Amino acid sequence: MSYQTIDVKPLSPVIGAEISGVDLSQPLGNQTFQEIHDALMEHLVVFFRDQDLTLDQHKDFGRHFGELHVHPAAPGPEGHPEVINVHADAESKWVVGETWHSDVTCDDEPPMGSILHIHDVPDAGGDTMFANMYRAYEALSEPVRKMLDGLNAVHDSEHTLSVRYGDEGRFRDPEVRYPSAVHPVVRTHPVTGRKALYVNTSYTTAIEGLSKRESDAVLEMLLRHIATPEFQCRFRWRPKSIAFWDNRAAQHRALWDYYPQTRSGYRVTIAGDRPF
Amino acid sequence: MEAEQETDMSYETIQVDPLSPIIGAEISGVDISKPLGNQTYQELHDALMKHQVIFFRDQEMTLDEHKAFGRHFGELHIHPSAKAPEGHPEIITIHADEKSKVVAGMKWHSDVSCDAEPPMGSILHLHTIPESGGDTMFASGYAAYDALSEPIKEMVDGLKAWNESAHVHRDRFGASGKLRDGDDAFPESLHPIARTHPVTGKKALFVNENFTTRIEGLNKNESDAILKMLCDHIATPEFHCRFRWREKSVAFWDNRSAQHRTVWDYFPQVRHGYRVTIAGDKPF
Repeated sequence: MSYQTIDVKPLSPVIGAEISGVDLSQPLGNQTFQEIHDALMEHLVVFFRDQDLTLDQHKDFGRHFGELHVHPAAPGPEGHPEVINVHADAESKWVVGETWHSDVTCDDEPPMGSILHIHDVPDAGGDTMFANMYRAYEALSEPVRKMLDGLNAVHDSEHTLSVRYGDEGRFRDPEVRYPSAVHPVVRTHPVTGRKALYVNTSYTTAIEGLSKRESDAVLEMLLRHIATPEFQCRFRWRPKSIAFWDNRAAQHRALWDYYPQTRSGYRVTIAGDRPF
Repeated sequence: MEAEQETDMSYETIQVDPLSPIIGAEISGVDISKPLGNQTYQELHDALMKHQVIFFRDQEMTLDEHKAFGRHFGELHIHPSAKAPEGHPEIITIHADEKSKVVAGMKWHSDVSCDAEPPMGSILHLHTIPESGGDTMFASGYAAYDALSEPIKEMVDGLKAWNESAHVHRDRFGASGKLRDGDDAFPESLHPIARTHPVTGKKALFVNENFTTRIEGLNKNESDAILKMLCDHIATPEFHCRFRWREKSVAFWDNRSAQHRTVWDYFPQVRHGYRVTIAGDKPF
C-alpha cells in the first residue's frame, strides 16, 4: 500500500505500524483519513507520536471513524461521557487491561476501535502489547477451526467490572451495570472480510453448546494460543503518544511493570456493530 | 441408554447381576475352567457385549485352563514386552508386593492400544489379594463418548490419535522384558479417537491417558488441551464401576469399549495373578 499524505512504518510484519506526518489535533483531509483507515485495516493498530490533543480534539479525531462509544461502567473526566481515564500511580491496587482482551466485548455491539492518548509515562515500562487475531485464527488446525466456526461464546462483564468499580462506576445504564452478550467465537471483520478469533481472557466465560469441562478446556487452549509471541507487537510509549487499535481484529494487554510510578491518559472509544 | 441395552436379555445357563446400570456385571453359575457349551459361551459373550466387563467368583484355573477359556473368544495376544511365566508367552504375570516401586495400570487405559491391532479383551485371574484394597475400576467408553457435546463429537469423529508405548514400557520393562519383536519392542499406532465397536456398532471413546500421546492433525497446544479434556472426561465417576476382588475372582473386560485403572492402595501387601489377553482387530 502506498501512502501520499502520511508515513507508515511497521513495528512487525504481523501487527502494528507507526504513523508520522500528521497532526491529529487538526481536522483530517479526506485523503489523510482514508490513508489512516487503510493503515489501520492493514496493521490492526497504528501509533502516533508527539500529539497534543485536548479532550475535544481527541473526540473529534475519533468521530472521523464513527459514533463514540460510552463505556458501561468506567469513570472518566466530568462532561465527557465518551472518554475514560486510564490512570495508575502509587495508590493503585490494580490497573485495567492486564489480561489479553478486546475492549468491552460484553456489549452487544462492541467497539470498532479505541484511541488511547497517554500524557504521563513512567521512565521505563508500561508498554502495551497487541495481538493479531486473524493470525491466531489462521494458525489453528483445520479440525479446530471447523469446530469453532459454528460456535458462539458468552462474554460477561460482572466478574471483571463489578470487582473493579463496585458502586463507584459511572454507569451508562443503572439497570444493567454489567452487560453480557453472546458473540461468534470466530468473527468476520466487516471491512476486510477476514476471520478473526474473538474470545478473550477478560470477558469470555463459556462456549455455548459445550459442557463445562469441554468449554473450559477449549477456551483455555485458545487463550493460551492468543498469547503466542509471533502474533504480537509491543509498543513503547512516550509522553503524548497515541495508539489506535481495531478492536475487531486485535487484542491488547497492558503491562504494569512500573509501580509505583504514574501512567496516565485518556481513551476515546468508537462504537462498532454486532459481530457476525 | 441405547435401545439395545434396554432389551431384556434372558440368560438360561448363567446368572447375571449388574454392578451398575452403565458397566459391569457379576456372573454366576458357570465353572470357566471347563469347556463351555455353545449356549453358555453365547450368553457370556452377550453379557460381555452388554456390560463391557464381567466378573466371576471362586474360579480355580490352571494357566492352561485360563488360556483355554480365553481361546473361546479368539486367538490369544502376546504382549510386546511384559514378563510372562516360563512356557506361557500369552500370559502376563500381575504382581505387586513390598518390593514394588510401581504397578502397571495406575492410569486409565485400554490394554496395549499401542498395537496396530489392540486386544479384543483381557481376562485377569487373581490368586492372592490384600485384605482390602487393590480394586479395579472400569469405565465405559460408550458412556464417555455419548456424554460429549455435539460439536466435540463432530470434531473427534474425524480425528485419529497416536498411541505410543515407549514412554510407558521402556522404563517398566527395559531390556528385561520378553520382547515379542526385537525390532518393534515399543510399537506405536494411529487409531480413531471414537472407534466403532465391531460387534455392537456403537461408538466408544478410544483415547487413554496411558498410551495416547497426540491427536494427528492438531497442533501441540490444541492436541494437549483436547486430549487432557478427554482423559479428564473418562475419569467421570458416572461412567464407572469399581470391582472388589476376592481370591480366585476373574474379571473379563471388552478392551474395545471399556477402559480400566488399577488402584494401588495396599502397599506393602501382595496382590498376584495372571492375565490372558485375546487378540483384536484394527480399530475403525
